[in-house]
Amino acid sequence: MRSQSANPAATRPPFVSLGWVPGNVTLLQVVALIVPVLAAVATRGPGVAATLAMALVAALFWEAVFALVRRRTGTAHGATTALIVAVMVPETVPLWQVGLAMTMGVVLAELVFGGRGFGFLSAAVTSLALLVFSFPGVALVGGSPWIAAASLPGAALLLGVGLIDWRVLLAAGVAFTLAALAAGAALAPLTTGSALVFGLVFLACDPVGAASTRVGRWLYGGLTGGLIVAFGEAGSQNAVVFAVLLASIFAPLLDQLVILHNARWRARRAGQSHG
Amino acid sequence: MLRIVAGRADTAGFKGISVQYTLSSCAALSDAGAPAQSVTDKPVTAAALLGADYPGLRPALAVAVGDRVKVGQVLFNDRAQPRIAFVAPISGQITSIEHGPRRSLSALVIHRDADDPDIAGVGKPVDVSNPESLREALLSRGLWPAFRTRPFGRIPAPDAVPRAIFVTAIDTEPQAPDPRVVLASQDGVFRRGVALLTLLTEGTVHVCQSPGPPLAEETGRVRITSFAGLHPAGLAGSHIHALHPVGPGTGEVWSIDCQDVAAIGYLAMTGAYAPSRIVSLAGPHARPPMLVRTAMGASIRDLAARMGDGGVPARVLSGSVLSGRDAAWLGRYHRQVAVVDAVAQPERRGWRVIFGSGQGPRPIIPTRALETALPSGFLAVPLMRALAVGDVEAAARLGALELIDEDTALLSALCTSGSDYGALLRRVLDTLAEDA
Repeated sequence: MRSQSANPAATRPPFVSLGWVPGNVTLLQVVALIVPVLAAVATRGPGVAATLAMALVAALFWEAVFALVRRRTGTAHGATTALIVAVMVPETVPLWQVGLAMTMGVVLAELVFGGRGFGFLSAAVTSLALLVFSFPGVALVGGSPWIAAASLPGAALLLGVGLIDWRVLLAAGVAFTLAALAAGAALAPLTTGSALVFGLVFLACDPVGAASTRVGRWLYGGLTGGLIVAFGEAGSQNAVVFAVLLASIFAPLLDQLVILHNARWRARRAGQSHG
Repeated sequence: MLRIVAGRADTAGFKGISVQYTLSSCAALSDAGAPAQSVTDKPVTAAALLGADYPGLRPALAVAVGDRVKVGQVLFNDRAQPRIAFVAPISGQITSIEHGPRRSLSALVIHRDADDPDIAGVGKPVDVSNPESLREALLSRGLWPAFRTRPFGRIPAPDAVPRAIFVTAIDTEPQAPDPRVVLASQDGVFRRGVALLTLLTEGTVHVCQSPGPPLAEETGRVRITSFAGLHPAGLAGSHIHALHPVGPGTGEVWSIDCQDVAAIGYLAMTGAYAPSRIVSLAGPHARPPMLVRTAMGASIRDLAARMGDGGVPARVLSGSVLSGRDAAWLGRYHRQVAVVDAVAQPERRGWRVIFGSGQGPRPIIPTRALETALPSGFLAVPLMRALAVGDVEAAARLGALELIDEDTALLSALCTSGSDYGALLRRVLDTLAEDA
């Protein structure tokens, strides 16, 4: 009788997967985005569909190119990026500009790092930011009450499965309100609320772009909310995108602060328990 | 087959003499295939001691292939620590001794003699009256390997004195045996064993159990703590994190399973080595799921004979579906044999091709599930990133020294990356142990 021979491929844990694979994450995000996209098509006409088609083609093209170069099977993670861009880019923007923005966002934020989840920025935020940097005068949409209402089922889904964190939403909402009051801005709850919902749920709460610790997410959400007011007061029409972009860039730093604090707490605690 | 059950609770207050903790919850697996909590005897035809349980161990053999051995007879000592003896779990003939790299142990297999059904060990009175003699008894009678240190999860050095000892009398792994049922028939020896453990440490002996009547007597040196909640509330790593955290340069604590504590009590009271352990034989394909009393290192082929539905090939793991391994023999520290699906769940089929996870490395996408897979106080995602890139220093700062492989099993099951965090952690701990 021989002992079990080691077959690395077969003997390697985890033996159980609870369904958390990157493909399923993307699928859930796509499902969450379907209603807002339909609402955008319904309210703004078929131009949205053209934007979406262009964005999808660009995203999937670059995914395929990188997959070929790296000899991996392609993924469709770019689909969520395309859906978000379709909702937020006005249908008056020429399609070649949409394609260019998607290219920059998907490649710079995701593919050069190795794909979704390896970078630290949301590809959608990067695409949108680069679009308005590159082509001044573009004012993003995505803030109508219809879109806001259509975002709620998806938000509930993503909250339910734990792909977005309520801490980010709450912190951003509170920080936004406080900062707006401090800046003396006139707050019309319904208007500002509907202007923010889609951006907060699908841009700020992106699991890759947001901070990855609980305390870090409170800080990240607060920073996002404050920055939205700062950019908005300065007259930017695309305050949400720039606020999320800046907050995402700072998210690793916020996490690092939390990590330092945790390490210090841990050392103090271990020291105490050993007198 | 599997679903995620999440619960949530915070630290509860004091309850009677025992402190009760409710750990912030984690994901648990469904009860499909949970064993009936009554014990059946299951004799085995063969048993083995495995190198996989003792990474890096190089044996100084006291026996050779063909020798006949009795239960409790010394088979080999640790070449690096010759006082630590490893003994036979069944009586029989040694049929093979396999070595791994650098003369490490791979497996030592004993087949029971058909004409020698006697499994009772040789009772030779032991002196457990003082710390030195107890220590010597545990070392020479094969019970020392029951202890594992934190940090590093290794067998302690023969002369090491722990700051505290943790007795794990709760099991929250899916389909685990209930330690209350397991200990029901061994109450006296378990209590004796707990009392003896106080001789090995100058600190506290923590008995960690599920909420309910205390399993041992609380004295000045023995503290009973109840842990409630879902997995990993029952892991020694969670208990140590809550009660006696360890870090760099803080000395070590030991953990030991309650059945090994009962074996210590049995040794003290009878002078004989207790080779049997109660393990659960469970999982979706176990027919029927049950608790069995069997020998340590038992042949899984014997235990799981006739398991698996007609036509559906089952896969038998030593250990739980979360932290177990493919094996032919029951692991030294495993409390269950899981009979699961033979084929991993298909990940690329139908529409999933479109959103396929792709070949090659897969990312860690932070989800809420990951945050509850470790005791609160751990930053799961930063720790996972540190482990994934092999950043030893960062992992140590984030609490890797408090963990062993089994503590990270939930992370592996819940993470999008499909990484084996147990193996990654082991690598980090080995590096840290070399530097320590």
